[in-house]
Amino acid sequence: MVDLVLRAANLTKVYRGRRGHAPVDALSDVSLDLERGTTFGIVGESGCGKSTLARLLVGLEAPTSGTIRIDDQPVVISERSASRELARKIQLVFQDPFSSLDPRMTVGKALKEVLTVHSLHTDMTSLRASELLSMVGLTRRFAERYPHELSGGQAQRVAIARALAVEPEILVLDEPTSALDVSVRAEIINLLVRIQDELKLSYLFISHDLSMVRHISDDIAVMYLGRVVEMGRYDQVFVTPLHPYTSALEDAIPVPNPEHERSRQAAGAVAVHVQVDKVTRGCPYAPRCALVEPRCRDTAPTLTEKANGHMVSCLVALDDAQ
Amino acid sequence: MTAALLDIRDVHIGIIRRHGSDEIVRGVSISVAPGEKLGIVGESGSGKTLTMLSVLRLLASPPLGVVKGEILLDGEDLARVDAKRLRAVRGGEIAMVYQDPMSSLNPLMHVGKQIEETLKAHGSSPLVASDRTREVLGQVGLADPERVRTSFPHQLSGGMIQRVMIAMALATSPRVLIADEPTTALDVTIQRQILELVTSLQAETGMAVLWVTHDLGVVASLVDNVVVMYAGRVVEKATTTQLFARPTHPYTKALLQSLPGTGSSHRSALHQIGGTPPDPTRLGPGCPFRVRCPYAEEKCAQAEPELIDRGEGSFAACWKDPSQW
Ligand SMILES: Nc1ncnc2c1ncn2[C@@H]1O[C@H](COP(=O)(O)OP(=O)(O)OP(=O)(O)O)[C@@H](O)[C@H]1O
Ligand code: SF4
Ligand SMILES: [Mg+2]
Repeated sequence: MVDLVLRAANLTKVYRGRRGHAPVDALSDVSLDLERGTTFGIVGESGCGKSTLARLLVGLEAPTSGTIRIDDQPVVISERSASRELARKIQLVFQDPFSSLDPRMTVGKALKEVLTVHSLHTDMTSLRASELLSMVGLTRRFAERYPHELSGGQAQRVAIARALAVEPEILVLDEPTSALDVSVRAEIINLLVRIQDELKLSYLFISHDLSMVRHISDDIAVMYLGRVVEMGRYDQVFVTPLHPYTSALEDAIPVPNPEHERSRQAAGAVAVHVQVDKVTRGCPYAPRCALVEPRCRDTAPTLTEKANGHMVSCLVALDDAQ
Repeated sequence: MTAALLDIRDVHIGIIRRHGSDEIVRGVSISVAPGEKLGIVGESGSGKTLTMLSVLRLLASPPLGVVKGEILLDGEDLARVDAKRLRAVRGGEIAMVYQDPMSSLNPLMHVGKQIEETLKAHGSSPLVASDRTREVLGQVGLADPERVRTSFPHQLSGGMIQRVMIAMALATSPRVLIADEPTTALDVTIQRQILELVTSLQAETGMAVLWVTHDLGVVASLVDNVVVMYAGRVVEKATTTQLFARPTHPYTKALLQSLPGTGSSHRSALHQIGGTPPDPTRLGPGCPFRVRCPYAEEKCAQAEPELIDRGEGSFAACWKDPSQW
């Protein structure tokens, strides 16, 4: 039996359009299952709904429709008090660590405050505070520091310690390394892997850095315009991608290897980007797709299993070699 | 070697105080030839942005100022030219895309108009300016250039703004393009398109490019040569091929090792540099990288190394020969 810590089913989020504009479908029918102790990676371009998904999962916003269950309990967003206990179980870590830290509050105070926010009546003893700090690789002397006295990497460690203070089961990590120096990213990724093993945490790891996502994730969903277009184990998605969008993404990533880049240029690979606001019929990826066929413009594909849990939403990929 | 088009010579930038100054950029020399694409990478806070800003005399002064050094554009010292000449160079011969794009656009003017104004300021007729504006907005991959042209900055997404800035910089066909992290906020497919656009324009016009980035993938795909900065200094200079194949400074080597790559297995520990970069205004004697360096020896604490020729076009500010690592 797989032990699912989080189940999101058919999540949809429609934002009312600004004056005179049509409503925006930020998220359409997204379902995912997070197995306890594992990492689910979400990739896709900006505006594809990654952060909307994160906000729904941690209860910052209510979905237009769909359900979220944590530990098999439904999360009810509208009745905040009822879901407090569940809200504690899932914590969000932001891209910019400084944005989540109050500049006038010491690190120690910030750790204390989070308990009050969740009305947990346990005390943040200095022992607990130093335990949390040491978990993220900082000495207890950091409790007295203010955010401006921290480097980017240290601030991200504090943000993670703060999320851990309420003993969550799930961390939603929204681009946790993008704002950091290259030399610091490895530290944070190593830290996340270590505390995941120690605390048996489950992660939702959102990033546009495919190499990091591949490194840390067990399962991966690729999103395009608010939908999941491909989903599977990390090696399925990266080694044998099925959706043409996944291939285009991988192809566009600059690889830190000049040889590779030269052969890429020699092969004349071009990543075509066409800005598409809304497709009303057929496959939403059709206007950009390299494999597009006439039927794609009429029939919208649905996310369907192709093999061993490897799901794809593409008419052509589903037909191929079946 | 072709003669340098832009030659930054031994530039020192400091926080000017009543008695003396605290140096942040401590003697940086960078030069680009016509048609050369040069990448500038380095630790955050190492002085990349300040060095680039100093080229067009855009440092926030006070308190910042160039304490020493020359900036030569085709032999003409930009530190000494008058205001009129400087205006002609800015956005004309040298165009710059800033790290923080929002701050360099006027919030109350349509973005298309802002590009046209730049063009007119550099001698285009209104008709030519308006045609050229449409053209460059199309080139940077904006789907609906017409709508973007008549939008205010706040009506555009971060990625669109970034492309508008790149369009504005390219509009005047500059001889030198300085771009500070220009594609960090962009999606990978758009980023790829921008890199290809710059490469093809550059091949056509012979423009020189200085590209500041944290992304070693961008370095590998775009530039010919690389400068690595650390603690206010250039610590390595190399061709792109050599930098990846045979880094000659321990910091560069550590940076390359920290990337998750095809070599690292799933969820295995990535190489960490450890420690934090020093405050460039509080450096003691010796190599500024020594506390984080696995190869540090006694000499490293005593004197700061200058760039040493390590062959194959590589130079590193490190006492230790890479063959002894
Ligand atoms: N106006 C200022 N006054 C005082 N110090 C400054 C000012 N602007 C920058 N600095 C300092 O100068 C140093 C170099 O800054 P710079 O912005 O050039 O770094 P960078 O290499 O561009 O970093 P990043 O990769 O983060 O963009 C930093 O330590 C920074 O804090
Ligand atoms: S000079 Fe010494 S401390 Fe500095 S990088 Fe070289 S070996 Fe390391
Ligand atoms: Mg900078």
